[in-house]
Amino acid sequence: MSALEFENVSFTYPATDTEPHPAPVLEHVSLAVPEGAFALLTGSTGSGKSTLLRLAKPEVAPVGTLVGHVLAFGKDVRTLSPVESAQTVGLVFQSPDSQIVCDTVWHEMAFGLENLGTPVAEMRRRVAETCMFFGMEPWFRQKTASLSGGQRQMLALAATLAMRPRLLLLDEPTSMLDPVAEKDFLAMLFRANRELGVTVVVATHAPEPMRVVATCAFRVEDGHVSELSLEKAVAACAFRPEEVAAKSVPASGKPAAGGLTPALSLRDAWFRYGRDADWVLRGLDLTVPEGQVTAIVGGNGSGKTTLLQLACGSLAPQRGRVSRPHAASQAYLPQSPRAILSAQTVRDELMLWSKGAGYGDAQVTAMMGRLGLSDVAARNPLDLSGGQQQLVAFAKLLLTKPDLLVLDEPTKGLDAAARTKLARLVQELRQEGRSVLLATHDLAFVSAVADSVSLLFDGAVTCTEGPDEFLAGSWLYHV
Amino acid sequence: MLTMRDTHTAFDTCHPAVPAAYFAAAILIAIFAMQPVCVAISLAGALAFSFAARGWRRTLKGLRWQLPMVALVAVANPLFSASGSTLVAQLGPMAIYQESIAYGACAGALLVAVVLWFEDAACVLTQDRLLQLGARALPTVTLVTSMAAQMVPQLLDRAQTVRAATLATTAAAPQGSRDRGVRVADQLMSWSMEDSIERADAMRARGWGATDCRSCYLPDSFRSSDALALAGIVLLAAASALLVSVACSQWRFYPTMPRLVAWWGYVPYMVLALLPTLLDLGQRIRWGRVA
Repeated sequence: MSALEFENVSFTYPATDTEPHPAPVLEHVSLAVPEGAFALLTGSTGSGKSTLLRLAKPEVAPVGTLVGHVLAFGKDVRTLSPVESAQTVGLVFQSPDSQIVCDTVWHEMAFGLENLGTPVAEMRRRVAETCMFFGMEPWFRQKTASLSGGQRQMLALAATLAMRPRLLLLDEPTSMLDPVAEKDFLAMLFRANRELGVTVVVATHAPEPMRVVATCAFRVEDGHVSELSLEKAVAACAFRPEEVAAKSVPASGKPAAGGLTPALSLRDAWFRYGRDADWVLRGLDLTVPEGQVTAIVGGNGSGKTTLLQLACGSLAPQRGRVSRPHAASQAYLPQSPRAILSAQTVRDELMLWSKGAGYGDAQVTAMMGRLGLSDVAARNPLDLSGGQQQLVAFAKLLLTKPDLLVLDEPTKGLDAAARTKLARLVQELRQEGRSVLLATHDLAFVSAVADSVSLLFDGAVTCTEGPDEFLAGSWLYHV
Repeated sequence: MLTMRDTHTAFDTCHPAVPAAYFAAAILIAIFAMQPVCVAISLAGALAFSFAARGWRRTLKGLRWQLPMVALVAVANPLFSASGSTLVAQLGPMAIYQESIAYGACAGALLVAVVLWFEDAACVLTQDRLLQLGARALPTVTLVTSMAAQMVPQLLDRAQTVRAATLATTAAAPQGSRDRGVRVADQLMSWSMEDSIERADAMRARGWGATDCRSCYLPDSFRSSDALALAGIVLLAAASALLVSVACSQWRFYPTMPRLVAWWGYVPYMVLALLPTLLDLGQRIRWGRVA
């Protein structure tokens, strides 16, 4: 018997004013995930992976017309009672921030079991066993707000598994995590799959890190789903730095000018968030040459975001000097695009800063065309996929024509196509003579766009090299 | 705020109902006992426990504003109520009486004692322990409080991010602080709303609303020793309250204050006020010896 089976499923979202005759998101989808499998559901963002997963969980299924049958262990999921559904199918979401419900770890672990009315003795046992399995004892009594993103995502997984579902669905569970946290999470997921026998289905646009643990793969494309080998599934989603146009030498005269006045420089910068807090930056020196792309890499919590906020002046160092010749023409892309998106439609969103920055309708239309956002001009930016949200936020910044662009994890949550698009844009900016400072974990992206890489460690820049040189000499980082 | 409790007290090993009852009793008696000896006992107890549980640094930091407050009330009271019989000074038409100053000092000390008791209680009854008390009776309220508690730090964190983001893009930076505030609030609102949709999905995916009767996970259980401790505290508190009320009924500030005498009736209240500190001291000595 299959753990999850789609029998000739088609799904269409309801008609809206902007789309009176919507095309089906999924058409005649048939697939079967055997019991005990670790299945990958790959595809680019917006291909309908999430819709497919959510159809297997009626409580959160999108509104629309569903034709066909979705079966979990041979039973139509729509005939399951809410309690049965919770005990059969678990669902873990993408964002570590928005799927945590309670204030303490123990309460979060118990939340699902409380909802099912599990007797106290049984509940204690399940919470205890799940905690032991995940090695969560040290943080059992901590506040959820004090956990890192990786820990929160692990907690979401544990809290779902505490209900002992036989089938676990995960929607882009690691796209918001850094590489180390991602590995930890996947290791745990793998153990749950092999040791507890939970069938796992992961929807992802970056299957590469899961290749070693997965047993089968499907690809969602244009509303159709096909089974394919793991190698092919991974290859179809891979980001290829070489596809980005080769770095061309910037226009003549620029490098010379760049050598004299950097676009940004920090000299002996010391920073901490409070009088009693530890130093985040300790005597950091950094120079961002004019007209070049400078990348910052470093571990989680190494102070990359702090450094960027110092670079754009939202924080000031306690000691040392920051020289910002482009202070009057800079733009900053925060890690979460939600921090700068607020309008009702994509067009309104892009028009929001038009008065202050002096651009008009025509430029917005051109920008949307350039980034492939014309189709979604009338949609709410927050309804778009994470990758598209990032592109909208990026477009919003580009429209202000900044001389210095500061990007914090610009490729977080992006699929290969969006990363390629973003890499090309950054290249174009560079050719226009603009300077870019970006912090990232994504070395493939760095090798595609950056002129130099600086490694941030212990609050200071440990080394600065060209990307090829950096990768060749690195023990830890690979493309 | 890494761990739930930043200090260990004698109440660690009890069900939260025990410290809740203790502090409720201590605070109630402290509020109504407007008599110099009782105020002194209550202040001494609260201060001692504050030193033991919250540490001398935080306690002294608090005293920096609490002591001037006592002085302020003591000085201010005679200016507003010209009662008493022992004249201390005559400021123009205003007569300052000794009884009036004593009343002010007593009221100020009482205020500080109550504040300290509350701070002590907050230190022992952290939010997670407090929520456990209401979990059975008010499950929804408890859950909502718990949710709100985890979202406040998140919101503050995001406010900082949004502020940084809106300020950092110069060409689009808002003009004036009011515009900036509106924009940050607007941004935070839409972010939180968007999150809430996802959180609601996550809750439903984990069976929220699946049954009418939710069960309730409580990490601490109520044992017979807790019942015993609770009974002991209630008895001691009742005895103290009775004796304190006797002491208060025989005391007056105006027109003249009676002479204070040593009386066995103060002993139960002293025991009550100093009990947690004594237990804490006992533990410290035991650990000191072991180490």
